[in-house]
Amino acid sequence: MTIFSMNTNRISLFLIFYVLFNLFQSETIYAAYHDRLTQSMVQGTVTDTEGIPLAGVSIQVESTNRGTITDIDGTFNIQAGPNDALVFSYVGFTPQNIPIDGREVLMVQMEENIAQLGEVVLNAGYYTVSQKERTGNIATIKAETMEKQPVGNPLAAMQGHLSGVDIVQNTGLPGGGFSIEVRGRNSLSGAVDPLFIVDGVPYGSQSLNAARVSSEIIGEGISPLNAINPNDIESIEVLKDADATAIYGSRGANGVVLITTKKGKSGKTRFDARVSTSMSKVSHFLDLMNTQQYLEIRREGVQNDGLGDLLETSDLDLFWPDIKSWDNNRYTDWQEKLIGGTAYRNNAQLSVSGGGEATQFLVSGGYLKETTVFPGDANYRKATLHTNVNHRSDNGKFKINLSTDYAREDNRLPGADFTLQAYSLEPNAPALYDDEGNVNWENNTWDNPMAALEEKFRAKTHTFISNALVSYEVLPELELRTSMGFTSYRLDTYLTNPSSARNPSFGLTPQSYSNLTSNASQRESWIVEPQLNWKKSWEDFSMNVLLGGSLQQENSQQLVVRGRGFPNNGLIENMAAAQTLEIVSDMDSEYRYSAVFGRVNLNYVNRYILNLTGRRDGSSRFGPGKQFGNFGAVGLAWIFSEEALFGEKSLLSYGKFRASYGTTGSDNIGDYRYLDTYNVSGESYGGTTILEPTGIFNPEFGWETNRKLEAALELGFFNDRLMVNTSWFRNRSSNQLIGIPLAATTGFSELAGNFDAVVENSGIELDLTSVNIRTERFRWSTNFNLTVPRNKLVEFEGLESSALSNTYIVGEPLTIVKLYNALGVNPETGLYEFEDYDGDGNISNPGDLQWVEDLAPALYGGLGNTLTMGNITMNVFFQFKKQQSYNTVRFDATPGFRGNIPVELFDRWQQPGDISPFQRASSGFTSVQDRGYYQERSNAAISDASFLRLRNISIDYKLPTIENGLDINIYLQGQNLWTLTDFKGPDPEQPSSTRLPPLRQLTLGLNFSF
Amino acid sequence: MKISDINMYSLKRSKAFAIGQSFTILIFGSLLFACSDFVEVDPPKNTLIAETVFEDPATVESTLANLYFDIRERGMVSGTYGIMPALAIYSDEMDYYGLNADLSQFNQHSLSAANNRIQEWWQQAYHLIYGANDIISGVEASKSLTEIEKANFRGQALIIRAYLYSLLVPLFGDVPYVDTTDYLVNNTISRSSRDEIYDHIITDLEHAITLLDGLDISGTERIIPDAHVAQALLARTYVYREEWELARSMATELIEAFQLEPDLDQVFLKESRETIWQLQADPDNFPTNTREAGELIIEAIPGQSYALSESLLAAFEDDDLRYGHWVDSMSNSDNTVTLYYAHKYKAGLDETQSLEYSIVLRLAEQYLIRAEARARSGELAGARADLNMIRSRAGRPNTSATTEPALLEEILEERRLELFTEQGHRWFDLKRTENAGTVLSDIKPGWRETDLLLPIPETELSANPNLLHQNPGY
Repeated sequence: MTIFSMNTNRISLFLIFYVLFNLFQSETIYAAYHDRLTQSMVQGTVTDTEGIPLAGVSIQVESTNRGTITDIDGTFNIQAGPNDALVFSYVGFTPQNIPIDGREVLMVQMEENIAQLGEVVLNAGYYTVSQKERTGNIATIKAETMEKQPVGNPLAAMQGHLSGVDIVQNTGLPGGGFSIEVRGRNSLSGAVDPLFIVDGVPYGSQSLNAARVSSEIIGEGISPLNAINPNDIESIEVLKDADATAIYGSRGANGVVLITTKKGKSGKTRFDARVSTSMSKVSHFLDLMNTQQYLEIRREGVQNDGLGDLLETSDLDLFWPDIKSWDNNRYTDWQEKLIGGTAYRNNAQLSVSGGGEATQFLVSGGYLKETTVFPGDANYRKATLHTNVNHRSDNGKFKINLSTDYAREDNRLPGADFTLQAYSLEPNAPALYDDEGNVNWENNTWDNPMAALEEKFRAKTHTFISNALVSYEVLPELELRTSMGFTSYRLDTYLTNPSSARNPSFGLTPQSYSNLTSNASQRESWIVEPQLNWKKSWEDFSMNVLLGGSLQQENSQQLVVRGRGFPNNGLIENMAAAQTLEIVSDMDSEYRYSAVFGRVNLNYVNRYILNLTGRRDGSSRFGPGKQFGNFGAVGLAWIFSEEALFGEKSLLSYGKFRASYGTTGSDNIGDYRYLDTYNVSGESYGGTTILEPTGIFNPEFGWETNRKLEAALELGFFNDRLMVNTSWFRNRSSNQLIGIPLAATTGFSELAGNFDAVVENSGIELDLTSVNIRTERFRWSTNFNLTVPRNKLVEFEGLESSALSNTYIVGEPLTIVKLYNALGVNPETGLYEFEDYDGDGNISNPGDLQWVEDLAPALYGGLGNTLTMGNITMNVFFQFKKQQSYNTVRFDATPGFRGNIPVELFDRWQQPGDISPFQRASSGFTSVQDRGYYQERSNAAISDASFLRLRNISIDYKLPTIENGLDINIYLQGQNLWTLTDFKGPDPEQPSSTRLPPLRQLTLGLNFSF
Repeated sequence: MKISDINMYSLKRSKAFAIGQSFTILIFGSLLFACSDFVEVDPPKNTLIAETVFEDPATVESTLANLYFDIRERGMVSGTYGIMPALAIYSDEMDYYGLNADLSQFNQHSLSAANNRIQEWWQQAYHLIYGANDIISGVEASKSLTEIEKANFRGQALIIRAYLYSLLVPLFGDVPYVDTTDYLVNNTISRSSRDEIYDHIITDLEHAITLLDGLDISGTERIIPDAHVAQALLARTYVYREEWELARSMATELIEAFQLEPDLDQVFLKESRETIWQLQADPDNFPTNTREAGELIIEAIPGQSYALSESLLAAFEDDDLRYGHWVDSMSNSDNTVTLYYAHKYKAGLDETQSLEYSIVLRLAEQYLIRAEARARSGELAGARADLNMIRSRAGRPNTSATTEPALLEEILEERRLELFTEQGHRWFDLKRTENAGTVLSDIKPGWRETDLLLPIPETELSANPNLLHQNPGY
């Protein structure tokens, strides 16, 4: 059956081409014939009100779709009939419609418009909509904002700029991942990734890495989005509310991120070259103890534990080499040594674009090399190639747009992140290398961090994204369009673990120990989306209807192999040299998705707009009978500023009220979960391949449903110089698809299924843009966004009796943590005390884990200012967030253990009567550590981690034009330069003690274009 | 506009319209039609649909192989989190020096219901029981398997189920008896009494003996459990239930079928003739030899944070060959610290040649079971003869005990010396003979009578309210 339907699809695809091609031929012949009869050449120049020529102004003949754009000196030539009219449009200027009246030369002056709302066109995925007439909530970031930021991943460029979009960088290492949440966490299962669409092609954002290869160095995420060069992006739109996302049906629940790449522009062939160099460093080091402080509390800890006598027994030196064997006067700043380096990034990009009025092209190639702050020669390289070809037939009816992106990344890093060791190595730990330059093991008394340099991690990716969009205007009102896309993502990672990375006293040899784990994974997908667009205008009324279908298939494969035992460590990267091979996993999965969707947009007197969208879709992730779901939304807008009440002179230049309600879904649970299956585990016993039960199956589960409600007010003042958009939203996600925790007596820990739980995300978003000053010499504009989110578990049937009862509370956010209530240090005993909630005399889980804190941000946003003075443009962008987070107590609560700790723990309890925030020192050899364990899980380990961060500053100087057409820009950009925070820990954005925090960066760059 | 133009135009229009229409109908028609089939996919290459698994004897063998592999790698028997060395530390076989919170709790007799090892044992046991139950019911429902195949597979699965319960009961006391794969039942199941579960164990093993009788499935390496394995487990179960006559007759069956290895260095090799059931280590994969060796052998100091206790070392008489062959020591570089370890398994984890497998059942235990059973039934001469078989192999003189209590005491001491660091025998013996308090209260300051049962993992108590009460003392 499957094969048959595939054939049907292929046939229909073929027919689409056949039909379009035939039409195209006959049409062009007629169009050419018709033109020759009536047209003549019109030429002219377009300038602004100051008389300065405007290049790139788009000119269209009103009756046909024929068009051109002006050259660098503002001149144009176009074929048009003597009774026709020309439409001139240019972003930032008021469009003009000028009748030709038989003239052959036209001089046109265009008037600047500050924020021409009708001109700002937003990509809504299957259709575009003007900022003015949109009924849904679409946040956007444009190329000019992204170009100001020296970052390697598009998500990094978005950080802080969009309301309702919370992005956190997971690691400061190149090639690492980001986490993104659009309007909060909707799902108990924790699947929060929005749907990413690059030029119309859904793009899997989930990493395909294997945890056992990369978990130590780069964590879970090797973001596939790294492959998209931010400089190749024209705009990113984030669809948030039901009106915008319901057309994505079962995949729209977590929002949709649309990435549109750059396209060529007609006119003179243009070369753009960009080169830049960045220097990055860790922005903040922890204040740790010095050797004297460290050894003092170490000895005190041993004494406190009553082990003081043992300290004098040389037999036991091996228990505390830092006190007894190592130089007690040695000091090394391990942060400086291990993560204190400077990472360099060199970036070069060259693009060529141009074309005539019928065909435009863009080719852009980029190369980036980035090193790390670690010792050693780790580095990340990326080469990208972006091409776009755009063509339309002479009569403008047939259009085709092809875009492709290819990226190759090569990431070479050590086997583990040095950050944890930088924070925790003893300050008097021995030298890394001995006099002969060998890794120093100091008589086997420590684990030398340099061993990790012997372990090599490498990740290579190849990414290819292509899309073809063909359209044909059958009738003036009717357009047929088909979007076809293909993506391929290949990730190869490996990790070597040579015996030379281990303490030689273990006697490990390459033959007995050295091993190599490799992961080869691949994801390919194709999509075909035929669409039909019909629009018609009457006097007061216009109507726009879209009908489309979607077929998508995605195949993923992963092969993880481990080789063990090598003749020598030099051969460790060659799997063929391994003595034994173990197939850790060999998996493939197939995901298929099909849908029909539609949109009806009704507009009455440009004041009242109704937008209906819907989708019926099916996903292979569900069992028979549960595959299909229906989703839809209704959006309304009332542009009340168009009402007669508001005259031309009104202070309020624009006012719109809009609201939307609808449903979307989420099928984000992985493939094949509905099948009762046995897995090939890759192991064997007695020569028999092993089959293991996959899990308890549930053929009954279905969509997670997300109902979104939104109301918004958009206001423009002073001829739209000040725009204020305020949105309120409430999303409720029900029928939660989760792994329902089970008692172990069932044989498994969870069951995939729908749970009768409702998660609500609500909040207010505020977006403000303002042109504060606009004079000939000086311009100053400001943008600001603020999000106040609120997450709540509204309902959870049977929570108390479920295994999640200690994780969630009805009425509280999903992001809560339950903690012990720390009562401080008892001045008599010197030990931490906690509130005994259940009064049983013990501090234990779960009875006393009753203190609740929320770790979600309370508010977040950004503030940007752009100042232009003559040839100098300066951007300053601040990001802010109000939140709580785990602090350093989470990692170290008891002084005296082996390993360095924050210096504030030096202020510990020493004798009865002492009032101190930290308990008495302990060697770690007695059960006093339990108290520290509770402290680490108490509310003392949570503190304010709000921050105000100068995320980006850029100064751009445009050299006065040397000769005609040559533009040179020099810029200085800083990323993450300054942070205001009370947070005590590595970084308030990502408070991890084991991952490299985001770096501070300074970039110097040069752009040429001619 | 000329007339011909108009005609052409309208023609063009209608043609375009017709094509547009048919085009539209075509795509949406095919889409709607294709939709429901399109989203049905074949299962991935690394999975098999459960129903088909039980229609082919080769794939059923694969599911049983999974159970044996899991017992070896993740279960209580030998895996990294196996009951050894935790139970050796919990009893008096080993001392613990390390900082691991879970093992410290065993050492100090301050077990908490959050102890990760205990939770791991519980989860793994029931995960394996699920696997066994799925095979039992899957084989039952199979249409293609022959009766012999069914008997074979069912017999093996019954042994695994019985074996796991025979570990769970002495550890936890009353536990849930799960014999279906229905999660709705198992998620809210209550505990059954210890006696009830022993009845199930005995029924399963007797059934397995009938099913597997005469089937040669264990191979030369004895890595697949057969009727003898069921008999050996049954003999052990009868000892725990103090049904001496039955224990004696079962042990006799095995003593007649197997023979002791005369050389102590041969006992733990994979070719050992006294092995009744062992778990194969994969000759081509890590670990090539046993996890036990990796856990117990001390290769460097500091290395393992546990070592054989003074009291166990002192219990070996000077003439005991087992001390020389099965115990070894490691000293630090300046010889100030010496630690002793069990050296029954000698091939460490870095040994790439396959030499040893994890032995679950061996004949020596059966001799000691029969000795004990005979002594308990007053058959003292026979008991002495069985005991002397073990003593003489260890190079020790024949026993001089003449009374039943004296002989029983010697048999228990012999079990301690013969079976040390194997399968938690020492702890289970101390427990069943009610000697735990006497022996442990002096050396374990945290000792309490309630330590005889481990705590039910706290996660389980909260996941299944029907488990009701925690074991006393936790």
